[in-house]
Amino acid sequence: MPESEEQDILLHASQGDLDAFGVLYGKYVERIFNYVYYRTGNVHDAEDLTARVFFRALHHIQTYTDRGVPFSAWLYRIAHNLVANWHRDRSRHQEIPLSDAPTIHYKGDLPEMALMHTQEKDALLRLIRHLPSERQHLLILKFVEHMSNAEIGETMSRSEGAVKSLYHRTLLALREELDDLELEE
Amino acid sequence: MNSKMKQFADASREKISALENRLSGVLQPIKPRKEFVHGVAHRIQTGTHATFFMDRIANWHLLAMLIAGLVSLAVFLAVAGRAMVNLLGKKRTA
Repeated sequence: MPESEEQDILLHASQGDLDAFGVLYGKYVERIFNYVYYRTGNVHDAEDLTARVFFRALHHIQTYTDRGVPFSAWLYRIAHNLVANWHRDRSRHQEIPLSDAPTIHYKGDLPEMALMHTQEKDALLRLIRHLPSERQHLLILKFVEHMSNAEIGETMSRSEGAVKSLYHRTLLALREELDDLELEE
Repeated sequence: MNSKMKQFADASREKISALENRLSGVLQPIKPRKEFVHGVAHRIQTGTHATFFMDRIANWHLLAMLIAGLVSLAVFLAVAGRAMVNLLGKKRTA
């Protein structure tokens, strides 16, 4: 969808046009769902929070003003706030369930190898969820959305250089955490 | 010395590259259920979505606080009412 067309749809949506809002919903629902899923770790809460993101966006779209940042950045901010509330409500629970996380199958793996890969994957996801939220956001945009540093910068209101630097620091921190984890084992 | 530093830098680069490969294997796009996507779209179109207040009410902490507040208010009114009746009764007998 070209940017000018999206601006037009946004204008209609902000005037209460539900069809226009529906178009925006269709465009962004998967992205927001993925963001929330990787931040919470389970499909049920991801669905609940994704729905709330769009209902809240619909409720507040009249007050939305274009400040030169993409509409997705506004949605991500709502999602970020709801996920932060979700984590606060569940702060008593130390572990996040990963039981319904999608399993990635490795071709030709023996069952014990597949189990090892699943455990490795779970450990890495757990480490990612312990990173500061902006670093998690960056990794999700980079690996799930396959965005370039410039696009991530627009979404996260940072310069391309700042994104590059944050990405590098995030990888180094994650690598260090993984090394510590492997040493413990 | 230079070759040692180069080796160290290469090893570090390899480690980072291996981590990037692991991340791209773990962080893959997930498709939400069609029923969920269509269900929310339908609620948006028909305007049967939760309002902001109902959205907040969905948070059980807020709901618990609201119930506690209502119960406290009821108890307060009952006690205050009884005190008033007692005071008025005493005035009449005096």
